[in-house]
Amino acid sequence: MASDGSVSEGSKLKSAQLLDMVRTHLTTDAGKELQTKVGFVYQINIAPKKMGFEEESFVVDLKNLKVYKGKAEGKPDATFSFLDSDFIGVATGKTNPQMAFIRGKMKIKGSMSAAQKFTPEIFPKPAKL
Amino acid sequence: MAFRDLVMGGAGCAVPGQDGSSSSNPLGGLADSIIGSASKTQERIREMPGLAGPGQAGPQIGRSGPLTSLPGSEFNLGQRPDGQVPDYLRGFQGADPREFTDAWNQSVERWPPPPQFPMAPLNQEGALFQEFEGIYGQQAGPSGAPQMLDAPPQRVLNGFLHSFLDSSRTNAPFPAVRLPELGLSQADKRRIRDRSHIMGRHIFADKGEAFIDSQVNGLLHSLDIDDSLGAQTRGPLGGQLPEFEQLWKEGYAQSNMQIAPRPLMPLANQWADEFQNHAGPSGAPQGWADEFANQQNGDQWVNQFQEQQHQSRLRNGPMGNMAGMEQTRSLVQTLSQNQDPKFQNSKFLQFVSKMSRGELIVEENQVKPGMANAGAGAWADEFQQQHPESWAAEFTAGEHQLRSDSWANEFARTAPEPVATNDAWVDEFSRLGVKDWADEFGDQMAKGDEISTEWVDSYDQFVEEQVRGEQKRAASSRFVYQFADNNPYVGHPNPLKEGQDLFRRGLLSEAVLALEAEVLKNPENAEGWRLLGITHAENDDDRQAIASMVRARDADPANLEVLLALGVSHTNELEQEEALRYLRGWLQHHPKYGTLVPGDAAERLIPSEVENLFQEAAILSPEDSDIHTVLGVLYNLSRNYDKAISSFERALQLKPRDYSLWNKLGATQANSSRSAEAIYAYQEALDLKPNYVRAWSNMGIGYANQGRYEESIRYYVRALVMNPKADNAWQYLRISLSIASRNDLLDACEMRDLEKLQKEFPL
Repeated sequence: MASDGSVSEGSKLKSAQLLDMVRTHLTTDAGKELQTKVGFVYQINIAPKKMGFEEESFVVDLKNLKVYKGKAEGKPDATFSFLDSDFIGVATGKTNPQMAFIRGKMKIKGSMSAAQKFTPEIFPKPAKL
Repeated sequence: MAFRDLVMGGAGCAVPGQDGSSSSNPLGGLADSIIGSASKTQERIREMPGLAGPGQAGPQIGRSGPLTSLPGSEFNLGQRPDGQVPDYLRGFQGADPREFTDAWNQSVERWPPPPQFPMAPLNQEGALFQEFEGIYGQQAGPSGAPQMLDAPPQRVLNGFLHSFLDSSRTNAPFPAVRLPELGLSQADKRRIRDRSHIMGRHIFADKGEAFIDSQVNGLLHSLDIDDSLGAQTRGPLGGQLPEFEQLWKEGYAQSNMQIAPRPLMPLANQWADEFQNHAGPSGAPQGWADEFANQQNGDQWVNQFQEQQHQSRLRNGPMGNMAGMEQTRSLVQTLSQNQDPKFQNSKFLQFVSKMSRGELIVEENQVKPGMANAGAGAWADEFQQQHPESWAAEFTAGEHQLRSDSWANEFARTAPEPVATNDAWVDEFSRLGVKDWADEFGDQMAKGDEISTEWVDSYDQFVEEQVRGEQKRAASSRFVYQFADNNPYVGHPNPLKEGQDLFRRGLLSEAVLALEAEVLKNPENAEGWRLLGITHAENDDDRQAIASMVRARDADPANLEVLLALGVSHTNELEQEEALRYLRGWLQHHPKYGTLVPGDAAERLIPSEVENLFQEAAILSPEDSDIHTVLGVLYNLSRNYDKAISSFERALQLKPRDYSLWNKLGATQANSSRSAEAIYAYQEALDLKPNYVRAWSNMGIGYANQGRYEESIRYYVRALVMNPKADNAWQYLRISLSIASRNDLLDACEMRDLEKLQKEFPL
């Protein structure tokens, strides 16, 4: 029933829910600004409980303003690996990305300058019912 | 300012010229001298004054061969093949200082503080080797040209692991070779396997997964370690393989030079014992001691670290003390120019000045009482006793505030135990990229005095804070309700009634306290818990709302309001499964629609199936606003925002004065990127309930998602004034402040200084 292109369908990950919101967000004016402000392609691998296990991959493509499930088409500028809850933490500003990196809760592969732009700013804040 | 000079190397604190000394800033100089170039960066090593030092150093340095570069440096290379990580970490300035504390706590937790190491007295020259031999005594015999297969298994393994590490430099594929039976226990194997995977990732970080895997597999295969856990061991394999002999020699020859036997075990035991005496109430150190004992057998990674120490000592050791004293003096001079009383009383300054007076000397990387003042000898002990949290904690404090490589190094060295945990440290530091801290520190210091005062302050207060923080963390597990301290309503004759009154008057934070008093008094009172949950939800705290509602449901499992509230809160927390279960339960327990729901819930609920049930119910009674409300929540879960909006609009037609419905409508619109419309709905909600914290906070989110950060700040601040415990709003506020380039207010945000924020951003 979910709208077309949902990345959260069939996923148990909270992150998938949030990424669905990002997908919607990228259609707004504020979302579109990310194309010029950031403009990188990020692949995000998210594991439910244990890093590297049962990972699901998502792509937040701020170059073409789209979010989709699976590996990046082409080479992503940076690839991140998270646990589900840690990704939510970073995306909602609970954890600062550098901190997550230092703690080993965020693994980075790829360009560091791209990684640096991976901030909570990219993610819309979910409004609460 | 003096402190800046200290770090940046201002003229006022130039170090009296040690010939060849390149450290123009005292802190760096101090660190260099103390540490003996422990820094893992090779450049730094080359700069060291001790380069011109003892004769033994010469051949080592000039040597070409696998171990020419400092062991451990490959971690750096692997970690930052292109030097980009520092850039990433430079983003630190904006970070929440408490997070650093946390992060370091975690590091320390993982590798608990080491014990004091009762080191034999050392006197300059020969002592170097004596110690080194001590460390090595067990693993290496006296012969400089070891016989591969005759060697004890330890040594075989040792050399073999070295050649693995060396392969990171040569980039040569690491071949699987057959080793003789090493008699490794399953635990050893597991440890080696885990570590080699980790190390592999570090040292070959620039190579890509496949390469890493093949290297590690080569290693593991040779050691007869199956990659799956609980490996089956092959039978012993004999046969001398010449290429292995070669590998082994290359990797190990250097480290084996000049080694004389000296038993390590007694020392180690003594050490472990002593440590247990220190261990105190915490269980972790005990675990460490055990771990250490185990490591004596299988774990040889540590050699890498020892070699590094060995080399650095060769270069610096004999000069270390003199240079250290000298540099410490200039450091103290610089430090004492700082008039801040906090600083003057700080332990750090005391520590440094004691060193400069020779009361404490740092010898072979250990702080020791100096000869100059035997009385001061007790200082180190005393210090440790006063701070059961241990040296490590102290230095953690310094560490996270300083963010400097000197501290990082000093921390590593001062932690007076060079063996058991150092593989962990190697890992940790390679991950951190020690040099970055230095850059970071420089940047921080350049920003001004405030920060330096801050860290000195924190250094002194850290232990206390840590204890507090520890408790907080322990209590923050999921779904456990957290009561406020010092609740004035405890002892109130009728806290429930008081709570209901306060809730009605919109004093949510007060109502929380009264209702907490109620549920403390009557833990089985479902209504008390329910209203507490509702209050928390309106106060924008879903975690606490869920915790209360779970208790309410325990007391009254069929309460529809409770089930709906749980469904909503879990939806907000993006917990789809839980939300679905509760919302389905809502229908199941509904007197009118319960029959619609099949008895057994499927293992995994499908949103559309639950939606269908509610659609049936909506056909049965289209005038029941509750049905539409739940449907709206369900559509939110499946991100059918248009349907969700219609459902809430329908419910609002039936119940136009329900402020929470207006908020739900607004939130749905916001989440479907119709933030502009959402603002209108929120406004309706706030007109009906002016103290509705959730709507204020949502208003902020609405503006932020439209890119209107200045406005969002005003609303977040307003929400926080009403409920300073709304953590989400604090996080969002911080994000908005930094995007709106109001970094000047980040501190106020960190300090939760609402007064200042309100003054800057009135609504």
